[in-house]
Amino acid sequence: MGAWRHFPIFMITVPLLGAVLLPFLGYVREKWVPYASLLPLGTSALLGVLLIGRIPSGGYLSYHMGGWEPPFGIEIRLDYVGLFLMLVVCGITTLALVYSRRYIEKEVSGGRRTAYYVLYLLMSGAMLGFVATGDIFNLFVFMEILALSSYALVAITGNRNAVRAAFKYILMGAPSSIMVLLAIGFLYSVTGTLNMVDLAGRIAESGFTEVLIVSYILLVVGFGVKAALFPLHMWLPDAHSIAPSPISALLSGLLVEVCAFALVRITLSVFTMRASDLVMGTADAVGVAAAAAVLYGGIMAILQKDLKMMIAYSTVSHIGYIFLGLTAFTAEGLTGAMYHMLDHGLAKACLFLCAGNFIYLKGYRRIEDLKGAWGQMPWTCFAFALASLSVIGIPPTAGFISKWYLILGNVEGGKWLYAAVLLAGSILAAVYCLRVIYYMFFQAGKEGAWEEYWHDAPPAMLLPVWVLSLATLFFGVFSFLIIPSLLKAAAYLL
Amino acid sequence: MRLLHNYHYAAAMLLFCLGLHTVIVRRNIIKKLIGLNIMETSVFFFYISLGYLEGGIAPIRTGGADPARMVNPIPQALILTGIVVAVSVTALALSMVILLYRQYGTLDVDRLMREEEPEAGESGKEG
Repeated sequence: MGAWRHFPIFMITVPLLGAVLLPFLGYVREKWVPYASLLPLGTSALLGVLLIGRIPSGGYLSYHMGGWEPPFGIEIRLDYVGLFLMLVVCGITTLALVYSRRYIEKEVSGGRRTAYYVLYLLMSGAMLGFVATGDIFNLFVFMEILALSSYALVAITGNRNAVRAAFKYILMGAPSSIMVLLAIGFLYSVTGTLNMVDLAGRIAESGFTEVLIVSYILLVVGFGVKAALFPLHMWLPDAHSIAPSPISALLSGLLVEVCAFALVRITLSVFTMRASDLVMGTADAVGVAAAAAVLYGGIMAILQKDLKMMIAYSTVSHIGYIFLGLTAFTAEGLTGAMYHMLDHGLAKACLFLCAGNFIYLKGYRRIEDLKGAWGQMPWTCFAFALASLSVIGIPPTAGFISKWYLILGNVEGGKWLYAAVLLAGSILAAVYCLRVIYYMFFQAGKEGAWEEYWHDAPPAMLLPVWVLSLATLFFGVFSFLIIPSLLKAAAYLL
Repeated sequence: MRLLHNYHYAAAMLLFCLGLHTVIVRRNIIKKLIGLNIMETSVFFFYISLGYLEGGIAPIRTGGADPARMVNPIPQALILTGIVVAVSVTALALSMVILLYRQYGTLDVDRLMREEEPEAGESGKEG
């Protein structure tokens, strides 16, 4: 009985505890808050790294608190895919937090800075819990912590556009949460349990009833809004483009992925897909929506004039990618989707942080203003270009690996049309990314738009950007470290 | 006949649809929030009615209390959490309504959303 058995719960509670303690520090020494907030997230990341290799292959790690055995108490259930996603969450949140200090000093007024870090830790902790929990009501609770802190973080600057975007987000997010709560109520009313594994067993016993059908559809719609699946994505472009850049990075790079993952987990481990026509039928509908998302997001991204708006629409498109991988129902498709969560998270976070660098130094948001940016900000521009390559899916980057598996999965599932849509999405991505790169490197800027000498963002802002962009390269070249375990885990889930 | 017997479920669903309708159709943002609260209340009502038992007793094992007559405490415990969440969402949303009203001078959602689309150029100050 090693101490590592307790690590999963500490990974979740340490950031939450940090969020509780931080206001006291903020009251005494506001300057220390940005540094102190790194401590809990760093601890979580460390514990996560120590857990690698501890999870039995094809199995999972179960943890419960206070002696309440799983079907009755709340279970933390960590399989390989869950741990993988938790590590992604830890990594990106820590990097964006390093980036936050300088950016927030400039963009957020004094009294709100501590609130920013508190909400940030709450959001990170909630994301970790959301991925790890094995109890469906606990999932709802973490989703609400996540949603509430993200509403507040979108509006943290307090200016009119930010508050409006956040309110739009609430108006779509809150009803979707209620739908999920209602769906959980339906599930509980027919099965009498809230533990996901237990639920799966009882559903398999009872077969599909009307109540379960309604419940599943409510869950798909509820999580669909949170994950910004195509017809329900309206809140995303505003919220993601107007939030402070580190928060945009988290929202685009992690939040939507984590919500998509929750839907997958419920589909695979509670409703145990292949079992019924219903799940397959819903999956077909989701597949159509996802294919539409890929094309719509790509086209809208091309039409945007605002850089962050363009990146946000690109996220709409990439959520479509993830869902198309899931609805292929093959191990390759699922692996592609999981890997896409990783590399899309890294690349999108990097793009948003780069956009943040331009805003931080120059206040430029329009794509046209970036003409000739290379002359002054070479480091940011190169990182942007590298992350863009991953978004497009050019070979040495991780984006290529995930798109390869996504297309492979769809072809193997006999879905040729979707494979074609995925390729078309890459072409669209190439159009909107290469336009920006062309402006940055090969066009002369307006007179006086940029300094003549190199004057890039401060190191604390460049470091996260470069770590993220190099990580997309690393996970492209060394994908063989992760892909086999993901394939195995995916085969186990199916 | 089953519907008559389970009239409380029908009532909860009616309230839910009423709330959703209010959220979608009403243009005043305060009314939208009221609709949201009606939706929430309907779900709470649904949960509580799950655990309700005619003439039930509190689920405390003292002496010879008959377990069959005890109400189910789990939905109540769950909904306690649900209420906390709902109150927080409402409080946050209302505080945003105050900010929005101060800055835009209107509560009409159409006018709010139409007012000067976030133009890319002049919004350099935003993060």
